[in-house]
Amino acid sequence: MTDLAYLGLADAAELIRARKLSPVEYTQALLERIGRLDARYHAFIRLTPDLAMAAAREAEREIAAGNWRGPLHGVPFALKDIIDVAGLPTTAHSKVLIGNVAAADAPVTARLKAAGGILMGKLATHEFAIGGPSFDLPWPPAVNPWGDDRRFPGGSSSGSGVALAAGMVPAALGTDTGGSVRNPASMCGITGLKPTYGRVSRRGVLPLAYSLDHVGPMTRTVRDNALLLQLIAGHDPQDPGSAEVEVPDYSADLQRGVRGLKIGLIRHFYAEDIEADPEQAQAIESAAEVFRRLGAEVREIRLAPLVDYATSTRIIIRCEAFAIHRRWLAERPGDYGDLARQRILDGAAVSAADYIDALRLRARLTRRTLEAFAGIDAALTISSMDPACRIDDAEACPRAYPRQARQPFNVTGQPAIAVPAGFSKGGLPLSLQLIGHPFQEAMVYRIAQAYERATGWTDRHPEC
Amino acid sequence: MTRDEDQARLIATAAGLTRLNEKHLAQLAQSVASTRELAAKLPKDLHWSEEIALTFRLPMPGDAKP
Repeated sequence: MTDLAYLGLADAAELIRARKLSPVEYTQALLERIGRLDARYHAFIRLTPDLAMAAAREAEREIAAGNWRGPLHGVPFALKDIIDVAGLPTTAHSKVLIGNVAAADAPVTARLKAAGGILMGKLATHEFAIGGPSFDLPWPPAVNPWGDDRRFPGGSSSGSGVALAAGMVPAALGTDTGGSVRNPASMCGITGLKPTYGRVSRRGVLPLAYSLDHVGPMTRTVRDNALLLQLIAGHDPQDPGSAEVEVPDYSADLQRGVRGLKIGLIRHFYAEDIEADPEQAQAIESAAEVFRRLGAEVREIRLAPLVDYATSTRIIIRCEAFAIHRRWLAERPGDYGDLARQRILDGAAVSAADYIDALRLRARLTRRTLEAFAGIDAALTISSMDPACRIDDAEACPRAYPRQARQPFNVTGQPAIAVPAGFSKGGLPLSLQLIGHPFQEAMVYRIAQAYERATGWTDRHPEC
Repeated sequence: MTRDEDQARLIATAAGLTRLNEKHLAQLAQSVASTRELAAKLPKDLHWSEEIALTFRLPMPGDAKP
């Protein structure tokens, strides 16, 4: 069972295609594992075993008939519960939307289904992707399988990170407005990519902040992440933010290594702007050495201070989220959890002029950041400043949230990936972040893959 | 009643948030205070010529976008 639990998407695809692994047996094994573990970890809001087994049987029939659709065919996956699946509720982990049954699949859902993926269910999130961890919602918050079973898994795509780390699924989707794919990836020791803004359709995904929202692939390895992005990337003419940019083969350059590449190290984020946990900071310095050893040129670059990006992001999120929620807040304020209500109400207090200035600051920061990226292929920096705190520590969790360096790349829209970068002395995952030029996800994957192969951090799993 | 609480009640009324209870209004008063701190961090040197990110753009002829 352990082998199937931590079988990656790419490896599963090869076995399924060669008919050495049955999608039915694979799906059944993961459903049994979820049934055994999820009372501890709460990754799923809604498990859909009947739908999953029906899809697995269909996949098995098609593959037996010689109609293999591609790498996700017969492979289980799960979705953060702000992404629509026709006929299932999209709750956003909130009482407010408890009966909100989706009429249609989001385009990302439709793409994964069309690729033959086996939907296992809907995953926990922070309420409306903004307020968590919360203990006053209809479902408990997801818990990190690393550590002592009491660790915060990050968020807001918390269930996605937990399901991957606990070996419940090999692939999941999350969303990232201020770092919500990369945060759980960092806390849970998995791989999460925020693609370029506009690279993946957001239609059918409950918005948090229109101008900062991204849908992103979450997996345990870089290779699997590239395969998953391949399936969901592409232009959607009905998403106003969607970009009409050709989708390359994200796996083509994975094995090319980093020799001769130029990587910018953004050290001031974790050494000056915010003082990071020493083990986490050292993990970034060690990663820089790994890249040098592999033949890359690593040199320090400077961007604006983190506080500038955070100010712009936080004001924009407050305003856009409040605009989206105002009607529900007017009608049913008591149906929100305390934390989400507080964060969304924040937007009511922002003046229009300050919102406009935050957008103007965003344009300035984007221009200056892209200028700083001239002459480098990608940048390396920290993701979270600290390893996971206790989930039941009501002071530590809110303190941990702003101690991060992910928001800059929601501001600029650049692709950014969080990958495992070792473990603390206490056995908790550490992580790093790699950032590319707009629409250069393939370069980000190439560099991340070289690091993953050189270090092997993704081979370790929590004892569940 | 503090100045932030007064302002919270004004904001709630203006925004149509008529069902907020005392606890919710206290949260909104916190929002007023935290927003004041946050807005103070905006740069003071933004020139009028610096436009917003994501400026409205009409579709080009033949553009498939709505």
